[in-house]
Amino acid sequence: MNILLCCSAGMSTSLLVTKMLKSAEEQGIECKIWAVPADAVRNHIDEADVLLLGPQVRYLLKQLKKLGEEKGIPVDVINTVHYGTCNGSEVLKFAQQLLANRR
Amino acid sequence: MGKLNDFLENSVMPLAGRIAAQRHLQALRDGIVLTMPLIIIGSVFLILSNLPIPGYDAFMAEHFGGQWAEKLSYPVGVTFDIMALIAAFGIAYRLAEKYAVDALSAGVISVAAFLLATPFKVPFTPQGAKEAILVDGGIPTSLLGSKGLFVAMLVAILSTEIYRWIIQKEIFIKLPDGVPPSVSKSFVALIPGFAVITVIWLARLLVEQTHFESLHNIVGDLLGKPLGILGGSLGGSLVAELIKLLLWVCGLHGASIVGGVMAPIWYGAMDANRVAFQHHEALPNIFTQQFFDNFINVGGSGATFALALAMLLRSRSKQMKQLGRLAIGPAIFNINEPIIFGMPIVLNPAMLIPFIVAPILTVISTYIGMKTGLVARPAGIAVPWTMPPSFPDIWPRVEKYPVPSCSWSIS
Repeated sequence: MNILLCCSAGMSTSLLVTKMLKSAEEQGIECKIWAVPADAVRNHIDEADVLLLGPQVRYLLKQLKKLGEEKGIPVDVINTVHYGTCNGSEVLKFAQQLLANRR
Repeated sequence: MGKLNDFLENSVMPLAGRIAAQRHLQALRDGIVLTMPLIIIGSVFLILSNLPIPGYDAFMAEHFGGQWAEKLSYPVGVTFDIMALIAAFGIAYRLAEKYAVDALSAGVISVAAFLLATPFKVPFTPQGAKEAILVDGGIPTSLLGSKGLFVAMLVAILSTEIYRWIIQKEIFIKLPDGVPPSVSKSFVALIPGFAVITVIWLARLLVEQTHFESLHNIVGDLLGKPLGILGGSLGGSLVAELIKLLLWVCGLHGASIVGGVMAPIWYGAMDANRVAFQHHEALPNIFTQQFFDNFINVGGSGATFALALAMLLRSRSKQMKQLGRLAIGPAIFNINEPIIFGMPIVLNPAMLIPFIVAPILTVISTYIGMKTGLVARPAGIAVPWTMPPSFPDIWPRVEKYPVPSCSWSIS
C-alpha cells in the first residue's frame, strides 16, 4: 500500500508520516508513506494508491480529486483532529478505509 | 460565538477556498517560490562579502586582493538578478501544468516573450561623462531581477493563456503517425508560440510609440508602484497579516494563500534592500518577506512559539501538555499545524483573539522599532522560513530582537 500525503510545503505532513509508519510497523502492515508539497503531487501520484491532503490545503481537494479520478486512486482530506494530534494510527485506518471502499 | 462560527464557515470559508484554488494565483506563488533556493544561495555570498567583523575588509583585501568583494558578488548577480527570468519560466510552467498542456514548451515560450518585452539596452557611463547613456546590445540584468518581476508575471500568464487556448482549440500542425512523438510535440508548440511572440511584439511596438517607451516602464508605473506602496505601508501589511490569520482560523493555509498576492511585492522590497545593502546605502524598506518570515511568524503563523512553550511547561491539562510535547519540535522550525489543528485554533472563538492580536501587535511594534532605528531593517538577505526564530538575529544583521509575542503567555 502506497500512501501519498500532501500539504503546502510537505513539511507538516511529514510529521504525520513518521507517526503513520510507526503505527504501520506495529500492526505489521507493509506500506510506503511519504509527504510532498502540493505542487509536486503530479510527479508522485503515479506511485501512490491513495492521496491524503492536509486540512489546510483542502481547497485543493476538487482539483486533486479530478487528478485522482484520472489515475484511479481515492483522494480525501485528513480529519482535522487526527491531523492536529498527529494520530498516525487513525490516519492509517482512514487510508485503508478509502482503499477498501474503492475495491 | 455560534454566529461567528456560522459566518466563518458559511461565508468566509467558501470564498477563501475559491481564492486559494484560483489557478493563476497558485501558479504565481509556485513560480516565484522557484527562485527561493537560488536567492538563499546568493544570500550566503552576500553575507560573506559583508561580514560585520572589524578588520574583515582589510584581512580579505590582503589575502584575496582589492577586488575581493566584487568577486564574491558574482554569484549574487546570477541568483538575485535573474529572479524575474526564473519566475517567467516557473509561473508559465506551473500554469500550463494546471491546464494539462505541455509545461516545458509553455515555460520556454514565456521566457522568450519576457525577453521580448525587455529592451536590450544597458546603461553605460563613458569616461569623463557624468551621466550614463543607454547602449544597445546587452541584456539589462537590472530588469531580469526583482524590478522585472511584475512584467514577468503578466507575460507568463498572458503567454500561457494564449498557448493553452490555441492548443485546446486544437489549432496546431499535425504530423503523420509515423513521426516520433517528441518530434511532433515540438511542432505542436509552433503555432501558439508564434501567436505569443507576435502579441508581445505588437504590444512592444505599440508601447514604444508612447512616452512610456517600454513595457517595463508602463507596468512599473501603473501596477508596480501602487502595489508597492500598498504592500510597503503599515496599513497594507496589517491587512495582509489579518487576512492570513483569518484564513488560518478557518483552517486554510493563510500564508500560502496571501503569499500568492503579496510575494511579488515583498520579494521586490527584499531585493531593493539587497541592492541598497550592497552599495552601503540606507535600506529603503521595512516590510519584506523576511520581516514576516523571521520577525512575525515566530513559531509559525500566529506567532505560536510562546504558546507551544507555555503548553509544554505550564499547562495543567494533561491533553494540552501532551500536545505541547508534540508541538514544540516543529514550532522551533516555525511549523505549527499541530497547534492550529490539534488545540485547535481553527474555529475556536477563545483562541481566535490572541491568535490574531499577538501577531498584529508584533507587526506594529517591530515596525516602530525599525522605523526609529532601534532594530535594524532586514537587509535583503533571504533566510528559509523554517529558520529557528533566534537565528535571524545574527543572520540578516539585525542587532536587536523585537518584542516577542508575550501576549501568548498571558492567554
